[in-house]
Amino acid sequence: MQIKEQSAPILLFNDECGVCRSIANWVKKQVQATSHGTSLVVRPIGQDPEELQALNQGLNIWDAYATIHLLMPDGSMKLGGEAVAEVLRHLSSTRWFTWTFAINLFGIRPFQAILNLAYTILADVRPVFGCESCGTPSPWVRPIRWMVKWVASLFGKSHHASPSPHFSSLPGSGRRPQAHQI
Amino acid sequence: MPGYKSIDRIRTVTASSFDRLVLKGEGPIVVEFMSYGCAHCGVMEPELQQVAEMVESTEKIFRVNIAVDRDLADLYEIQGTPTLIMFLNGAVVGRDEGPSPEVSNILALVKQPYE
Repeated sequence: MQIKEQSAPILLFNDECGVCRSIANWVKKQVQATSHGTSLVVRPIGQDPEELQALNQGLNIWDAYATIHLLMPDGSMKLGGEAVAEVLRHLSSTRWFTWTFAINLFGIRPFQAILNLAYTILADVRPVFGCESCGTPSPWVRPIRWMVKWVASLFGKSHHASPSPHFSSLPGSGRRPQAHQI
Repeated sequence: MPGYKSIDRIRTVTASSFDRLVLKGEGPIVVEFMSYGCAHCGVMEPELQQVAEMVESTEKIFRVNIAVDRDLADLYEIQGTPTLIMFLNGAVVGRDEGPSPEVSNILALVKQPYE
């Protein structure tokens, strides 16, 4: 398999998740405004495992959907909060504070740790914002999700409650999951 | 998600190969309707790979990526992912939507229609 050469980091985002799409669009605008799109490439993960591996042989499509990936030109990959920090370093509007992520106190990078935590929280709360494909919400998110659904139901917005916790309903699908032998 | 990266035991079928590999395929055939962006499918993937290895002498397991092959998803009235549909000599003999992602459960699901 031929590996595609790249000159700028590539940010992969989940285009099936509204929150991820919004953040990716914001990053795209920032990149366009400051470097005419040359400092960072923002692209959806897509559905082709081989196409992804052409970008980086160590990249697995399931992993790409599980956490944010930034593919570096030297062939390395940055994940999660580290990827977010690197993206912020490439944007002129946020670059000014990114030096804080490198501050190291007794082996701990406190600002990077805060960013990692913020990323984890954001990733966990995506189902609250309607991303069914993002999986089963973490236990701490479930009460929040339940409350959001309850409030939405008060305003007449019905939510399709799936009886299977392991099922992502397709948009517009009204039928409940079923298990039957014909 | 370790366990599925080395060998992919589940072959992807598309609209163009579905007829030949699934409908005209011989014996028990299980098709997982999935999408890579579905976290539930990602959780089930290593378990399904294990099951595919356990049943490979008697059953074939394929996947259909519904983000790519929407027509197949419509044809089989796929309401969400993952959905398993069991075929025998081209006919649908079983179906499960959102199976619990444990090897024992998936193994029972993919064997039961053929017993």
